[in-house]
Amino acid sequence: MKNLKLASGEKGDRTIVKVSNAEIGRGFVVIAGPCSVENERQVLETAHAVKDAGADMLRGGAFKPRTSPYAFQGLGLRGLKILEKARQETGLPIVSEVVDPRDVSWVAEFADVLQIGARNMQNFSLLKEVGRAGRPVLLKRGMHSTLEEWLNCAEYVLSEGNPDVILCERGIRTFEKYTRNTLDLSAVPAIKELTHLPIIIDPTHSTGRISLIGPMSLAAVAAGSDGLIIEVHHKPEEALCDAEQALTPDMFIDIMGRLKALKSFLDNQAS
Amino acid sequence: MKLEEIRRKTDKIDRELLVLLQERMGLALRLKKFNLTVTDPEPQEDLVARAEHLNLDLIERSFTRQLLNTIIEESKRLQEEDRQLVAFQGEHGAYGEVAARRLIPAGAYIPCLEFVDVFRGVEDGHFDLGVVPVENSLEGAVTQVNDLLTTMNLQVIGEVKVTVNHCLLATEMTDYREIRLAYSHPQALAQCREFLSRNKLEPRPYYDTAGAAKMLARENPKAAAAIASALCAELYNLEIIKESIEDGPSNSTRFLLLSREPYAGDGNKTSIIFAVSHQAGSLFGVLKLFAEANINLTRIASMPLRTDPGNYSFFLDFEGSEKSEKITRVLEHVEAQTISMKYIGSYPADSTTA
Repeated sequence: MKNLKLASGEKGDRTIVKVSNAEIGRGFVVIAGPCSVENERQVLETAHAVKDAGADMLRGGAFKPRTSPYAFQGLGLRGLKILEKARQETGLPIVSEVVDPRDVSWVAEFADVLQIGARNMQNFSLLKEVGRAGRPVLLKRGMHSTLEEWLNCAEYVLSEGNPDVILCERGIRTFEKYTRNTLDLSAVPAIKELTHLPIIIDPTHSTGRISLIGPMSLAAVAAGSDGLIIEVHHKPEEALCDAEQALTPDMFIDIMGRLKALKSFLDNQAS
Repeated sequence: MKLEEIRRKTDKIDRELLVLLQERMGLALRLKKFNLTVTDPEPQEDLVARAEHLNLDLIERSFTRQLLNTIIEESKRLQEEDRQLVAFQGEHGAYGEVAARRLIPAGAYIPCLEFVDVFRGVEDGHFDLGVVPVENSLEGAVTQVNDLLTTMNLQVIGEVKVTVNHCLLATEMTDYREIRLAYSHPQALAQCREFLSRNKLEPRPYYDTAGAAKMLARENPKAAAAIASALCAELYNLEIIKESIEDGPSNSTRFLLLSREPYAGDGNKTSIIFAVSHQAGSLFGVLKLFAEANINLTRIASMPLRTDPGNYSFFLDFEGSEKSEKITRVLEHVEAQTISMKYIGSYPADSTTA
């Protein structure tokens, strides 16, 4: 691939992104939490639940890019303060999306990892801004994007002097309608061939179906993914967005148990 | 004028009215120390009548009368509450007031312009108590206060360590994305330099942290924020955009509670100030007394003597109460070995590790 001066895999060691105690690119990191920050109770209860289940980081959106301008847009600054409180209580680092270049420095004051959503993958001015924010960036793959386009977007962040980019495969658009998107699991080994950057899988948005999240999470481990980002809500029936695809804490605990078993099986095979 | 602008202005005026009323209530409480009530020396009726004569065409006389009577009644009620008047230096919301509230939870907190006003006011009986900063974990001794401790005759009856926790504050109507300026005391601005540069905010020096918050609440300048305590957010109805914005590990300031009378209980910490003669080993001799009596020193600081250049006074804090026999004995020896020794109080130590 051309012009990937910094993202291409030819230059030696794999990148390990350190966020507090979590190391993405070494071991297996699970990021869990609600789609959006709705209120303090929702975030704190979910945060404690996912922490107890063994999650390494908390996700939660304070700024939401929504298909409709009339849909819930997120709590903004108030949401960021709730996330900060959740970190203080649980110690979990925070992953939160940023959608507007004007918000980048402010989100960086509250969150440990800045997420660029699929819809903003090629928002180049936003990419440059997060490249200068001094925080690791979780770069989701656009739903219509090739791996090359995706890596070029990572290159934008890297070229601004930010070496900490985590790629996230979250499904691409195909003709299939049963699933929300089609999870491109082959992206995991392909990305490992093409770049030194770590890659994680989002089994929630890629499938849009609760019943498929568990199997795809296990498949991600088998494919060599560096981690997962999963939506969990303490009461999914009350969620303001993505209610149909958020796991309950109990479902999440169940999946975490199976992940752990598979992980140790694979580790034993390897050693 | 647009509707929004009119609303903004009325809101601003309401805030100013309340801030002014707060000041007026404080003055009413101070009046009490002159053994006067709100309406002495002139009767309430005269006071109201005088204000009524202001010719304001939109304010009916009956309204003026009603309003002033309400304010005066409230002042009287406050006077009867018997709150202790606690003076601190700075505007309402200053870290001195944070300390005062921690030391005396239900007091009336009176702002003073200078440290000396706090000392004099307590000494003259205008205030019941005073709260002053004596040392900061980063900046060291507050020399003006240490100087006043040597010259004035007040007793230390308590202490508290306050963690300096700078917050970025703005009025509710301000969109944080539009903030470009941050007003505060130069020291606070310096402590938040990296935060300001990360968020592309221009530092604007102001005489006081709480003063900057007060100005923001009163004037609501465009695209502006203030750096001050969380207490300021409460007092001036400002929104906390971000807490703990200082760059380094948070620093703390130790405040002393001053009174005319010594602490009534036993206390477990004692402070003295002394000066020794210009002889080899004279300071060592004093410190040895404490070592031999196995008394733990918690602070030792020196300050040039203003009255006698080249000589120093020493500030010593140690564990234990002046009422204990062991300490009384050591202090007698200290007195004998020094040119001057001033006992400034035994009081309960602040055990929190701020």
